[in-house]
Amino acid sequence: MITASALSRRFGVRTVVKDVTFEVGRGEIVALLGPNGAGKTTTMRMLAGLIAPTSGSVAIEGVQLTRATGSALRSRIGFLTESPGLWDRLTVRENLNIYAGLYGLANAERTIERALETFELRGRGDERTAELSKGTRQKVALARALLHDPIVMLLDEPTSGLDPEVTRSVRQLLEEKRAAGCAILVSTHNLDEAERLADRVAVLQERLLAIDRPQALRQRLTTGRLIVRVSGDPSRYLEAARRSAQGVEVAVDGVALAVRLPDPEQQTPMLVAALVAAGAPIQEVRVEIPALEDVYLHLTQNEQ
Amino acid sequence: MRLRTLITKEFLDLSRNRAALLPVVLVTIMSLVLPFGIAILVPALTGRGLGEDADLVKVSGVAGIHYDLSADARVQLFLFQQFLMLFLLTPITGAMALAAHAIVGEKQARTLEPLLATPMTTYELLTAKVIGALAPTLAISLAGLVIYFGGILLFAAPGVAASMASARTFALILLVAPAAALVSLQAAILISSRVNDARTAQQFGVLIILPLTGILVAQFTGTIWLSAWTLAILGLGLFALWILLTVLSVALFERESILTRWR
Repeated sequence: MITASALSRRFGVRTVVKDVTFEVGRGEIVALLGPNGAGKTTTMRMLAGLIAPTSGSVAIEGVQLTRATGSALRSRIGFLTESPGLWDRLTVRENLNIYAGLYGLANAERTIERALETFELRGRGDERTAELSKGTRQKVALARALLHDPIVMLLDEPTSGLDPEVTRSVRQLLEEKRAAGCAILVSTHNLDEAERLADRVAVLQERLLAIDRPQALRQRLTTGRLIVRVSGDPSRYLEAARRSAQGVEVAVDGVALAVRLPDPEQQTPMLVAALVAAGAPIQEVRVEIPALEDVYLHLTQNEQ
Repeated sequence: MRLRTLITKEFLDLSRNRAALLPVVLVTIMSLVLPFGIAILVPALTGRGLGEDADLVKVSGVAGIHYDLSADARVQLFLFQQFLMLFLLTPITGAMALAAHAIVGEKQARTLEPLLATPMTTYELLTAKVIGALAPTLAISLAGLVIYFGGILLFAAPGVAASMASARTFALILLVAPAAALVSLQAAILISSRVNDARTAQQFGVLIILPLTGILVAQFTGTIWLSAWTLAILGLGLFALWILLTVLSVALFERESILTRWR
């Protein structure tokens, strides 16, 4: 539904985004991760038709985003900008009403009331946005971005500044939108959120470093270490482990033995059998899989 | 529909920030005080009629010979006609602040990016900005105009008010004033979308008023006298210039630069 093909963007001599290609399908949430200045906002802006790529192209539902198609395609995109960007002197309802008019919504009043309810803003519609807290402003900005029920959503830090309760309801809302068939691209620094919410995670640092399911990304960086947790002092079973898995690295890691097996599938049963034979009271056996944060740091630091 | 929505936003915003219109109101009041002070108050206080000043009587001749009017009334008519031009044009200088702030203000408040992400076109945005500054300015000018002519009717010498109701006055009010306002505000908006600081935009904007002020000064000294026809042509020329500026504003509005290079 969203197709970025070989997107590149230069500002003067500086390349901000280089040869980025990915797709966000119908009913899919993709989280865009990357350090500050990695080109996330520029990518979002290119996808929203706000700035043109230096090379490459963007297509929304198969329609190429150009100057001629921009206006029509923008009506199908819900874009949450980095900053809420609300008119401070206007009330919440007035802010939403202006955008309802710009999107040409037929039942503006009803749509706005529904949005206020969805984002728990009922009773706050007549407050000026200048008087709202950061989190509430973010909620209004989200309500505004989704007001016209867009089929494509580009959300820059959607839960930034929101309390856990509202964060959860925003996640639920996005899950509902995904179930309804929307294509959602979420830029975030919150790795936990990316893991909970996204079907796939894209790591960007000028170029696209990786894009895959969170689980697959973590497995890609797996150390191959087998963690065997035992009761008592694990060093007592070091020798037994070394005898079973000859020539491999065996170490004590806290309350567990950490064994780097070249072929965990074949060697794990043998190792466990040897430890049991040595009298080790095994409590847990698992293959170590790094957290998404580790994968992210590994990818971005390697790039630097 | 979108244009109407954007204009509504401009009016709503301005209605919550009435102080922004204060310069327009002050300039209008000053433009009211000045002609009545010179043409009515000073002669009344000094006891010396305007018709007694040979130079003034001579200069007032450029406004045409009005044999039916007294010397005092002829000079008053000349002054009120001259000040009418000043009165109609000076409120624009106040409105320039609004127009100059239009685009750069949205950018600084970070409200421009979500706005540009909507299907709204550049033309709609810029037109709404011009109308947003123009309509309140014209409304204040109109209110001032009612007071201006009311004052002439009440305080000026007999025959002055009737002589003011001329084709020249109508050309000034209906053509030159709105056209000059449109040109100035559109130019200010154009500048506002090209600079990244409201003060710069305003300073450039005020420069636009200079040619008009030059014409005004030349008229006061009696060097030139713009007839009704000349004013009508000037007005139409200004309308044409406004259309040209509108096209130019749209062409020169660079969404990308505004979003990525301005801080």
